[in-house]
Amino acid sequence: MSTDQLAGPDARSPMRAGTARPGPARARRPRSLQTRRAGAFYVFAGPWLLGFLGMTVFPLGYALWLSFTNSDGLSPKARYVGLANYREVFSDPDTLASLARTGLFAAITVPLTIAAGLFLAVLLNQPIRARGLFRTLVYLPAVVPPVGAALTFKLIFDRDSGSANGLLDIFDVNGLAWLQDPYARWVLITLTVWACGNVMIISLAGLQDIPAELLDAARVDGANWWQSFTRITLPLLSPVLFFQLVTQIIATLQSFLPLLIAVDPTPKGVGAVPESNQLIMIDVFAQYFSNGRYGYASALLWVLFAFVMAVTFLVFKMSRGLVFYAVDPEQTQSKPRTIGDN
Amino acid sequence: MPVSSRGSLDRRRFLAASAGAALSAAALPGCAASVDSGSGAKGAKETLTIMDTPWTKKDKQNAERTLGMNLEIVTYDITKLNAMLAGKNPPDVVRGIGATDVPYFAARGLMTDLDSYFAKSDVLKPSDLAPANDVWRYDHTTKKQGTGPRYGMAKDYSQDCMFWYRTDMFEAAKLELPSDTEPLSCDAWLDLGKRLAKRRLGKVKVYGLSGTPLGGPLTQVMWMAASAGGSLFAEDLATVDFSSPEALKALTWYLDYAKADIGPSVVNPNPDGWDWPTYQANRMAMATDGYWFGGTIGGDAKIAEVSRFAPAPQLGSHRISPCFSGTGYWVPKEAKNKDAAWKYFEWYFGGKPAQDRATTGWGIPSLNSLRSKMPRDTAFHKQSYAVQQRELAYFSVLPVSPYAQVDALNAVLTKVLPDAVKSGTSAGKIADTLNSRINEQLARGKELAG
Repeated sequence: MSTDQLAGPDARSPMRAGTARPGPARARRPRSLQTRRAGAFYVFAGPWLLGFLGMTVFPLGYALWLSFTNSDGLSPKARYVGLANYREVFSDPDTLASLARTGLFAAITVPLTIAAGLFLAVLLNQPIRARGLFRTLVYLPAVVPPVGAALTFKLIFDRDSGSANGLLDIFDVNGLAWLQDPYARWVLITLTVWACGNVMIISLAGLQDIPAELLDAARVDGANWWQSFTRITLPLLSPVLFFQLVTQIIATLQSFLPLLIAVDPTPKGVGAVPESNQLIMIDVFAQYFSNGRYGYASALLWVLFAFVMAVTFLVFKMSRGLVFYAVDPEQTQSKPRTIGDN
Repeated sequence: MPVSSRGSLDRRRFLAASAGAALSAAALPGCAASVDSGSGAKGAKETLTIMDTPWTKKDKQNAERTLGMNLEIVTYDITKLNAMLAGKNPPDVVRGIGATDVPYFAARGLMTDLDSYFAKSDVLKPSDLAPANDVWRYDHTTKKQGTGPRYGMAKDYSQDCMFWYRTDMFEAAKLELPSDTEPLSCDAWLDLGKRLAKRRLGKVKVYGLSGTPLGGPLTQVMWMAASAGGSLFAEDLATVDFSSPEALKALTWYLDYAKADIGPSVVNPNPDGWDWPTYQANRMAMATDGYWFGGTIGGDAKIAEVSRFAPAPQLGSHRISPCFSGTGYWVPKEAKNKDAAWKYFEWYFGGKPAQDRATTGWGIPSLNSLRSKMPRDTAFHKQSYAVQQRELAYFSVLPVSPYAQVDALNAVLTKVLPDAVKSGTSAGKIADTLNSRINEQLARGKELAG
């Protein structure tokens, strides 16, 4: 199918379009290709744009407005409080502690998840028997809904009836209160890293995209496996890993898993989340739906938003010189190729 | 494949039209939300939206047939309810816990005053309503629960600080069974729990006592402080005082219970969220649950054979047996189908469902006229019925503050107490921390509720 056909009968010559169609005596002024393309763009992008405006920009704006009030979401007597909520965010030791805990949690789980995913991808990229089965098994945890995974972890790590302590029991070892401090953090980290199948699958795709001739050439030149991996595989995989780093950081900073492995994952039970698992999103949830402090919770969300932006910006800055693109990204900033370009 | 230029143009137009249709489809529900679903086209059935625990398909169909209306069941979710109330598009009927929900929602003007409906009803007559229905009343002048207009109704109720126990475990431990008539002291109760607990390698294999009633540690302190002759909340319900001698005694009891590690507490919460799975698995000797728990026990003949019901223990000499539930329904002020909601009320609270519920033992019926239907056919049911009948004399409702949700106050307790238990902080210091944090919350709520 030619690009002409895709673009319609008058793609190349407006004059030809004018003569091709039977029309009234006074011919309509033909629309330019650019105008029609713009029209098509807006038609197709419109639904998404409306969704973005209605479901992202509006809630963000509404939350921003709420963050300057003392609203509880229900009372008509809410009033404007200026920056009081923001001042409280930065002076409340509980909030600052949960922000620090969230940063620490991300600092531990993100590298661990990426390293585990990459390690598994390298293993599963080897020509081994039943490779498809192993790939499926490793990817399965990523397909399990987080609620189901959390429930299973809760059952495994319950102090009095869980199988983890049941195992210790066989060896006459004292059971631990896994879901309470100070162990709860490690259960949460395990649950997060356990679902590294997503990282594995993307890394595996990246590994398979590495030209075999480069690795062959390195082997011929006498490079061992480790040298090939660090000098060829990792650099060529770095854009993929960088993408995963950024998305994992953003997802981890907004992690909601602590509530799911809590005893009662509802506003009623949010207070029972062990202190070491009280990440910022748990604080936000508790403030909204347990304490009814919509204003303060909205301020917390905006602070988290700024925090995520700042961390992402920092990561981009620090990645310079560490991520190798096959094509200089600066050059791809020029006019993108579109259908019809030759 | 050659495609005619005319054809490709049509396809583009088609895709554009599809995009337009998608937009329209997205916009339609928004428009529909503003339409009163109760005034449908001629001959169309009205739809009643109920926020409740999930219904079976069969129950829903039966109810629709009987009521002659469509039912839309929205699964209960407090976050969703708050959003719907804030958006002034609430369900027509909402499930709630009368004792703890009413002050908060009524004080904010979110509930419909149902007095006029009760006045003209032939099915739900105020004279037939059990006293427990008073948890659904709220007086805006005094800002207190128990009097004033009715904002809902209980489907059934229990006295939530009574407890069930396993005779087989008492016998195995060679302990005397608790009396059916005389309440245990809280100290004796805790001591029994310690003796009944069984441990192995740092794990509690059998819980001696699950000592927290419905409503969490907050209601526990409220109950015990009241039993000791005091009150956790101040007269105007705007502040708490955990440092008063009675509240401090209650708090100390709870800390001792949590430290003893003989049952679920803020330090080691029950992973099941309620007592039945552990009780049924022969891993709990005493469970603090009201009469409603007998409905579950009654469904398992083996467990029923070794289970008995006992009066609420007392911390002091002031015998009380409070109700912290009174679960039922209410109608939001902005509900669109209030008449249909009332029709549902009359059917659910006074019709066949109410009669069926009364016979199962899942709580005391909220209509006095149905009390005669409570089960008494087995030795288990006879014992629990007799104990419950005697306990009604001590029925009480302890008012909850309208300035914060009970969940919010419990969240403070569950945050502060675990560390305090582990570090051995004195009860006095913990009381000061709780006073400071909870009173701060109540003050914020008072500003908004007025």
